[in-house]
Amino acid sequence: MDIVIMIVLMATAFCAWRGLSRRVVMTLWVLGLVAMLGLFKYHVTSPLHLNF
Amino acid sequence: MTTTTDIDATVAIESSDLSITWSRIAFWGIVLFVVGYCGVLLAAMGVQIFGNEKPCPLCMLQRYAMILATIPAMWIVADALRAKLTRARYASALGMSIVAATCGAFESTRQILLHIASPTDRGYGSAVIGLHLYTWALITFIVVILFCGVALMCSVSVIPVAPGPGALRTMARAVEIGFLVVIAINVVLIVLLEGFSWVLPDDPTRYKLINDLGFGLH
Repeated sequence: MDIVIMIVLMATAFCAWRGLSRRVVMTLWVLGLVAMLGLFKYHVTSPLHLNF
Repeated sequence: MTTTTDIDATVAIESSDLSITWSRIAFWGIVLFVVGYCGVLLAAMGVQIFGNEKPCPLCMLQRYAMILATIPAMWIVADALRAKLTRARYASALGMSIVAATCGAFESTRQILLHIASPTDRGYGSAVIGLHLYTWALITFIVVILFCGVALMCSVSVIPVAPGPGALRTMARAVEIGFLVVIAINVVLIVLLEGFSWVLPDDPTRYKLINDLGFGLH
């Protein structure tokens, strides 16, 4: 999954650098963000026992 | 004899000069943002490669957030260099950076609290100038949110304008390419670290691809 995310990020950066359409860059960026948040949810499973 | 029209023209020229100056400052501010995060990512990779400290999954997630926050900044630089940057696109890109930096701040906070929660936990990895890397990451995310907020506040009157042909323009282009190279190095490192697994282990101690291929190096 990490490899997929990094490849999406690389593709996003490349498209932005090459000046591809806003829709393409935004779509790839949102895809990267959602994948990152999904992976975060996967790794974070246990609640932290902290009191504030 | 100076007429009112002459004075108006002089004020207009001075105002225009001031506007261009602020636009240049805005441009170099965004370039500095990209350079800053390239430096942070290179430092993290330096700790990984030369300090032999493999990043945990949460550390990697923070790197993704940093890259996600920097891509819109690089997009602004690229559009400004092409003279295609509009106010709407500038504001939109800054918003994207704020969203990514906020997500990154959540990830850093989670990791900080994870190590605070256990009284015997000494933290993950070694400290740099007294703070662990994930604490530094939180600081950078807060700085990015503040920077983008200020840039958005000023975006009504100031949008970045790239310098004309010359050394400065070449420098800005080099920064763009430098960021792409930093991402490419990260791609290689994550392939080495993750190997044929779907996700990273909680506490990676070796480059899994090298082990998976039977070379057995650490």
